[in-house]
Amino acid sequence: MTLAGNTQQILLVDDSDDDFETVCEALRLSGLQSVLRRATDGDACMALLRRGGAERPVFVMMDLNTSRTDGRDALRQIKTDPKLRMIPVVVVTTSANPRDVDLCYEYGANAYHVKPVRYPDHLRMLRQMLDYWLAGVLKPTLSKPSP
Amino acid sequence: MTQPDSAPEPTSWPGGAYSIKRHGVSLSSCDAEPVQTPGCIQAHGALLVLRPLDLVILQASENSAALLGWPPEDLLGKSIGVVIGEAGAATLRQSLASGATDANPLRLFTQPGIAGGPALDVSMHTLEGLALVEFEPTSPGDDAQAQHGYSLVKKAVGRLRHASSLHHFCTIAVQEIRELTGLDRVMVYKFHADGHGEVYAESGRADLAPWLGLHYPAEDIPMPAREVFKRVWIRPTPDVNGALAEMVPLVNPQSGRPLTMTHCALRGASVMYTEYLQNMGVTAGLTMALRRGGELWGLIACHHYSGVARLPFEVRAACELLAQVVSLQHQAIENQEYLAYRLSREAVHQQLIVQASEEGGLSAMTEGAPTVLDAIRADGAALYHHKRWWCAGQTPPVAALDALAQWLTARAEIGDGIRPVFVTDRLAAEYPPAARFVDIASGLLALPLTASRDALLLWFRTQTMQTVMWAGDPDQDIAVVGPHGRRLTPRRSFELFAESVAGRSLPWQAVDVDLALRFRVLVKELVVSRVERLAELNNDLERSNEELDAFAYVASHDLKEPLRGIYKHAHQMLEELALPPGSESRKRLDRVMLLTQRMDALLDSLLHFAHVGRMTLEKDKVDLNSVVAEAMEMVDARRLERACEIIVADALPTVVCDRVRVREIFVNLLSNALKYNDKPVCRIEIGCKRPSAGSAIADRPDDTVGAAGLPVFYVRDNGIGIAPHHLDQIFGMFRRLHGRAEFGGGTGAGLTIVKKLVERHGGHVWVRSTLGQGTTFFLTLAADTAAPT
Repeated sequence: MTLAGNTQQILLVDDSDDDFETVCEALRLSGLQSVLRRATDGDACMALLRRGGAERPVFVMMDLNTSRTDGRDALRQIKTDPKLRMIPVVVVTTSANPRDVDLCYEYGANAYHVKPVRYPDHLRMLRQMLDYWLAGVLKPTLSKPSP
Repeated sequence: MTQPDSAPEPTSWPGGAYSIKRHGVSLSSCDAEPVQTPGCIQAHGALLVLRPLDLVILQASENSAALLGWPPEDLLGKSIGVVIGEAGAATLRQSLASGATDANPLRLFTQPGIAGGPALDVSMHTLEGLALVEFEPTSPGDDAQAQHGYSLVKKAVGRLRHASSLHHFCTIAVQEIRELTGLDRVMVYKFHADGHGEVYAESGRADLAPWLGLHYPAEDIPMPAREVFKRVWIRPTPDVNGALAEMVPLVNPQSGRPLTMTHCALRGASVMYTEYLQNMGVTAGLTMALRRGGELWGLIACHHYSGVARLPFEVRAACELLAQVVSLQHQAIENQEYLAYRLSREAVHQQLIVQASEEGGLSAMTEGAPTVLDAIRADGAALYHHKRWWCAGQTPPVAALDALAQWLTARAEIGDGIRPVFVTDRLAAEYPPAARFVDIASGLLALPLTASRDALLLWFRTQTMQTVMWAGDPDQDIAVVGPHGRRLTPRRSFELFAESVAGRSLPWQAVDVDLALRFRVLVKELVVSRVERLAELNNDLERSNEELDAFAYVASHDLKEPLRGIYKHAHQMLEELALPPGSESRKRLDRVMLLTQRMDALLDSLLHFAHVGRMTLEKDKVDLNSVVAEAMEMVDARRLERACEIIVADALPTVVCDRVRVREIFVNLLSNALKYNDKPVCRIEIGCKRPSAGSAIADRPDDTVGAAGLPVFYVRDNGIGIAPHHLDQIFGMFRRLHGRAEFGGGTGAGLTIVKKLVERHGGHVWVRSTLGQGTTFFLTLAADTAAPT
């Protein structure tokens, strides 16, 4: 994947290779132009976002239960960082625990999706979500590299 | 006693070293008096201070001419031989060589007096590198009395051996000493833990008013005097009003130090003590130490009111011996008494525990006989448990106890892991509100009965002023008052005493605190452990609930993630392999995906069940008619192929409940009724019965359902029914009575969740069924959920 100048970049935070593959497949099926970058935990996510000169993703797909710094904490860090908090964060996780749902919205998550167990359902959910965030909504103009 | 071992060096008195004669009246504080270096002796005897090396006289009492025939100036610098002859001097040398007289006065011999004077007892001891030789006139018949004294000591020791208690023991001692000395009043004066004294045993002339049981302030025996009695056993004052003779020179000419007279029988008496005795009309005194280990626990104090009482050396020695015997024996007797006390109280403890366990309540501890008040020495006792008080004896009012309990539970002492006990003999000083009930609760011994501090055991002691007799009857003012004024009178003693004991109780003894702690363990085990156990169970329950929650969470995530992977790979394999329909491998892969979905559904049910158990109900007034209508809509019976007839038989009441959860109950029951039905027309009836008292619904299983009058809701169907032997299984988690494929499947969690939801509302759910004919589910919601109609 190359970093084309005007290609939309998505940051996926997920430690499951299977789910990463499914996201790739959903993206391929959607036919949308985008670059998918992946971090396997919250620390890697924050490092990518804070690296000087790096292009900002148009949104972050965040799993909650990752090793090391988990998705909840990464979400909180993003939403409390004045330079990052405008980036939409979409939680995509296995947990349907109402406590997680409430917590994430409290931290400022922009959407919360539960991964279905059935593969076709999973793909459908992802495609709708990608379609919405890549083509359906206007996003903040933050693709300029940070100073 | 925290005083230093020796009094400060008295070098700073006006005009040089201290002398009673010169400075005594200027004293203002008893504790400042240098009683061990008074500079003077009692003038009925004479004292010579020698250099042991050559027996040269360094100091002589100013009255030496009267007793020894030589004025001091003629003695100083000369050998003692000029006074006692060469034979006497040889005896002194022998004694010095033996070392037996070190800090231990021994009578060496008697020598004839000077012309017309009485014979003189000569005794010597050494101290601080000096030899002190005392001369005391003997009285006629001394020898006979000495013999008598010996047999008296023998008899006394024999009697003391048979004493039954410490008090009896001390009483025998004072009787024997009185007989031995012939003095008018002999007392055992016992020090309490706070330093104040009590006349513990007394033997006196019949016409004297007894002082037995009277208490005196600690100040009456000042610290310097107590220090002396840690070193000497006996202290004679044969003539309280007698003259004093100063030492010449006043200080040691070689060292410049004042003479330490601690062990001198002739030592000049303390100014304060003398004046106190004089004010009481005492003409002669004799005091002996009672010690335990290195501590002074009391004194044997003898007062004489009828003139001079010069006791022969042998009688004094006999008294000294008796004091030592009493000191030695007293410890054993006290230990015995302590043990007996302890045993008797522990027997009381056992009795109390038996009472309480038989009668099953804390009231047995305060209303029976014995009560908790008998458990230790106290005037009042209070037990606090479950926000109630049980009291015995004198206690503050309940409102005051409540406030006190609140204050106590915040104290660190009460939370101590090893000795959780709060002890004070002056409660008001630590807890000012106690000033209002200071007379009945100056002393407090408090223990927590539970670790959570919500149960307390308190013992109170009244103010000492209410408890003890004090010295110095106000009506018995004494006319003679010495230069130090009223301070040195028994009346003033009482006033001081009253000041020192205001707001105070008798101090708690270590044995009482120990007994209280032991009793606490018993009570805790018996009565309160039940509560503790319940709290522990609750804790366990809470913990396991949290664990269930954590488990449900793990189930929702960590178990589902691999499940999703399995499904995905099976799905992709199916696509990649392009297996022909109906092939065995295709069937197997389909099966893998089906099982994965089933597992997913089970995990969801489990998660939901855990959630239902833990979530907070959002209660409100809810019209059940609308709730049931919604539930019917949700199960959407029209979708079913079979004909359905659902009727609501009665108008349903409005109840206080969680609308969403109660709807879930009805959704579950309705879908069950629809699902397990094999009749051509599925009939379901929903209704509500409000049984009047005494005429319970026939189907009500037992009386645990609750009060009559509670509405009982039911959902009745004409379905397949449940076999009787399955009835008790249907509410179990994941219990299914039918094959997975039959009756539309399901996880088998529906009724479990219904039961949980009903119970969360404080209600009950039960079932009646006839196999093949139909099933009725009954349920109640808790009494407090019924809204007034």
